[in-house]
Order: sequence, then C-alpha cells, then structure tokens
Amino acid sequence: MKTEENNLINPNLSSKGLDIDQKLTSQVYPMVDISVNIKGLKLDNPLILASGILDENGYTMKSILDHGAGAVVTKSIGMEERTGYRPPVVAEVNGGLLNAVGLPNPGIENFGEEVKIALKAGKPVIGSIFGSNTEEFLHLAKKMETYGAKAIELNLSCPHVKGFGSEVGSDPDLVEDIVKELKEKIKIPVFAKLSPNVTDIVEIAKAADRADALVLINTVRGMAIDIYARKPILTNTYGGLSGRSIKPVGVRYVYEVKKETGKTVIGVGGISDCTDALEYIMAGSSAVQIGTALYTEGKDVFNRISDDLRNYMKAEKFETVEEMVGVAL
Amino acid sequence: MIKSRVTRIERQTPTVVTLFFKWDQKVLPGQFIMVWAPGVGEVPMSLSHTDGEKGITIKSYGPTTEAIIKTKKDEYIFFRGPYGKPFVQSHGKKLIIGGGSGMASLRPLIDMDSYGVISARNKSEILFPSLFSPGKAVIMTDDGTAGKKGYPVDALKEMDLNKFDMIYVCGPEMMLNTVFQYIRDKGCKAEFSLERLMKCGIGVCDSCSISGFQLCRDGPVFDLNTLNNMEEFGRWKLTESGRRVKIGT
Repeated sequence: MKTEENNLINPNLSSKGLDIDQKLTSQVYPMVDISVNIKGLKLDNPLILASGILDENGYTMKSILDHGAGAVVTKSIGMEERTGYRPPVVAEVNGGLLNAVGLPNPGIENFGEEVKIALKAGKPVIGSIFGSNTEEFLHLAKKMETYGAKAIELNLSCPHVKGFGSEVGSDPDLVEDIVKELKEKIKIPVFAKLSPNVTDIVEIAKAADRADALVLINTVRGMAIDIYARKPILTNTYGGLSGRSIKPVGVRYVYEVKKETGKTVIGVGGISDCTDALEYIMAGSSAVQIGTALYTEGKDVFNRISDDLRNYMKAEKFETVEEMVGVAL
Repeated sequence: MIKSRVTRIERQTPTVVTLFFKWDQKVLPGQFIMVWAPGVGEVPMSLSHTDGEKGITIKSYGPTTEAIIKTKKDEYIFFRGPYGKPFVQSHGKKLIIGGGSGMASLRPLIDMDSYGVISARNKSEILFPSLFSPGKAVIMTDDGTAGKKGYPVDALKEMDLNKFDMIYVCGPEMMLNTVFQYIRDKGCKAEFSLERLMKCGIGVCDSCSISGFQLCRDGPVFDLNTLNNMEEFGRWKLTESGRRVKIGT
C-alpha cells in the first residue's frame, strides 16, 4: 500500500545544488564569508535551528551545533512544567508537517542544565520563552540570560495553546509592553517571533519595534482529517503547518515586513535547501532558521546549505551574506 | 495514516494479545510503527511479525493501548511507518534476551539456532517461550512465578557468551543497562533495542533522544560501541515535559 505518508518518509527532497559551474567553485575561496552578526549575536553561518524541533535535550542541541548549525533556538520554555498534548502531536501531510505538541517544557527552573550541555558545542544558544504577561516574560528572559543564552526569542506566535503564543502576540499593546520591558532590563539581544495567523502582521511588527530582530514566521494554522477514522488526526484537532508548503507564505511576510518597517528580520518557514535560504535572505532576512527540514533532510542539512551558499556567493560575486540581504526589495 | 483490517487475533498470555493485519510493505525485525486509536492517542509499537502477515503484540498499559487491544477482527487499525533502523541480521548462533514486551520486537529473529533468555515481572507476561527449540530458552521472572526468580543478567552469568555469534537485547533501559554492563568487556557482538518515551516517531520532537541520537530515527537499535559512547544511556532520560530525571527514579 503506497500512501502519501510513505512517500514523505524518504522523499527525494535533498538539496539539488545550484546551477553554477563546478570548476569555478571547487576550489577554496577565502574571500567568501558566510558569518553574520545579528545585533551583536555573532554566528559562523546564518543557519539557525528553529524553535520546537530537536531542542528539548541539551545533548541533541549540542549535536545539531556540531552538525553545522550557526546557533540553536531552544524549545519554548515557560514558568511551569507542562506535559503538552497526548500524541498524535504530528501528522505528516503533503509538503510538510502539521504539529500541535502543546508547549511541553520542564519549566524554566529545570532548564539550566540543558542550556549548559548545549553550550559545550561552543556556539550560541538562543532561549525561546513563552508567558502570558510581561512579568512572566521578564522572569523567563532573565533566567535564560543567567543560564548563558546569547539571545532571547519571544514566542508570540504558538498557534495552538490557549492563553499563550499567538493569543499574546496578536495584542499589539501587550507585545509593545513586553518588548519594551525586556529591552530595558536584559542585556542580550531580544528577538520577537511573530505569527502569520493575524490580519495585519505589519501592525504587530511595528508594536515589536524595539526588539533587536523579528523572527518571521511561525507555523500556519491548519488541520487534517482521516477519512476512514472520520476524525481529526491531531489530538488537539488544530495544529501548525510547517515545511516546504509554507515557504512562499514566509518569504512574502519577510518581504512585506522588511519593506514596511526596515527592521532586522530572521526568516523561517519551509527552508530545506540553499535556494530557499537565499530567497529569504534576498527578501530581507539577515539570518534564517531551519526546522522541518531536519525531518526531510536530516542533520546534514546545515553543512549542505553552508557549502552551497559559499559556492553561490563565489559564483555570483558576493563576499558577505549582508550584501545579499534584501536585494530583491 | 495507513489503515488495515485486523485479520485475526491471538491471545499470548492473559494480558497480552497479538493483532494480525495485511500490509504490503517491507518491514525488518526491530522496526516499529506508530499506532493510532482515533480520538484516544498514538503509541509506538514494534512489529512482532514482519514476514508476510504483519502483527503487533500488545499489553494494555494506558488508554491508548487499551483502545488498540480492544480492536476486533475485521475492524481497522490505523498506523504510520515503518520507522527506525532494524537489527542487523546475523547468521549462526544467536542469544535473544527479552524483557517484558521487549520480546515482541525480538520475536522475528527467533530461529532454530536461537537461544533465549525471556524475562518478565511475572508468569502472565512471559512471551513466546514455545518458539525456541526445547531446552534452548531460560525463563526469569521478578517474582519467581515462572522459571527462575531473578533478572536476565543472572541467567547470563551461568552461560558461556562466547559461543554466540550475536546477542540481541530488548527491554526496559534498566535491564538493558545491566546486561550491557555485564557483556561490554566480554568481546561479544551485541545489539540493543532501546525503549524511551516517543511522541512524533519521525525525529523532530526530541522526546526519545539519547546523547544526541534520536531513538526513533537513528535507533531504536544500537550496537555496543554506540552505547559505550552514550553518556545518558542507563543514567538520564527526559520526562513527558522534558524534565531531566535519573533512570530508575
């Protein structure tokens, strides 16, 4: 029995490489520099592990960094321990994954050890946090800073947990207040991850104006039904869609927000090869995040995209990533 | 989601049943599927029958397994997979060491040349003893209600392990660790199939990870050398929330 799901387990989605002369690019080109600096956060390369994928256990985060990621974003951590939803928490769909994991996390007090283990890789860990009000976000951010996180990512966009994520992130006044408070009291850079599931993302982006960077986009709300069970597959019914199918949505949001606000943007949504990463960069992203491609491509995806990025830059005569940011605008 | 009608049901013990179904898919011993009870939940299950007719051998330990175990003949079971890396199949003399439901994933490996150490908490959970040739299986129970009272490692201490070409082990991590500690420096070839909390089954959620490896994708079967380099094996695991706890507490 062949099913779509089966096709997705081993999809032929590996990086196709770019249409460039291999003779030109097979040498080492020291003048190509793929390192980036996002408001003081220095990365060897612009490829960051997105929050929510393989980032609960410190050893896993260290392994992802050892496999070539420029940085990792942790699973979103809140004030209290949460077990999340009962499986099924993911559904494999055409072009990506639907998930509603339910923000499982050990609570901020129990997360220091994981950050410590991950930091042994010698690369930055970005602490993702979620709360329901400004005080909680501040407490969580201070803790993450103490644990050694090199930046904070505010989860203002988880689409499937009541009282958190996008429920907070769709209130411009609250977003403004949280960002303002953190910027006054936290030394490390603060990034705000926004939801595409809003009427006007530019309004929210402007509310988060004091953040060092905006992370765009979180997953797109969706659902899947099994027609023989005649029921929604996810225990939570609704989930967030990620993977290749949302890339054009993400690129458009990055482009629009960059154009309207000029803010520093980190792009995320369906990036699985170098072309995807470059589209996001040219739309205005200073760095990009990769999540669902870990499922389709495996951990080698980071080194593969870095190599392809260097080759592209040499062939197209770019010396730094920064030169390419927003060139399509 | 893949679906298939249950073709027959076989009761193994008072608490354990095997559901058989048709699935035209190559599956190797050690691989698993995520079985879904619609509206209830989803659990990883090793295939106890991998050739031709497929089967899963289940004991009820929660609402989802309780719902799956109640599936009747001709009703659908829903699942996705197969997932995970299988056992490397070896020729020659094999020693098969299974703890509790761990015997389910080892079952397809049993042949005429296999010796077994079958362990469980009590008599009603001893699986597949009759598949071994007479005299080739040792039964160990925690409470002594069947075979000898004790743990698999107690049985190993009375065996010459060097006569086996391959040792396969599956069961709870505490048991795997005791066996691992005993055989690690004895020059044996061995593979261990690990059991950890699993949510997604496809290498994204990080629930089943151990020292950077995802059990669902890089495992669940690991060789001695890989286990040797896993700091977390037998020591630490993450709970459903992701809280780090010591194994056995």
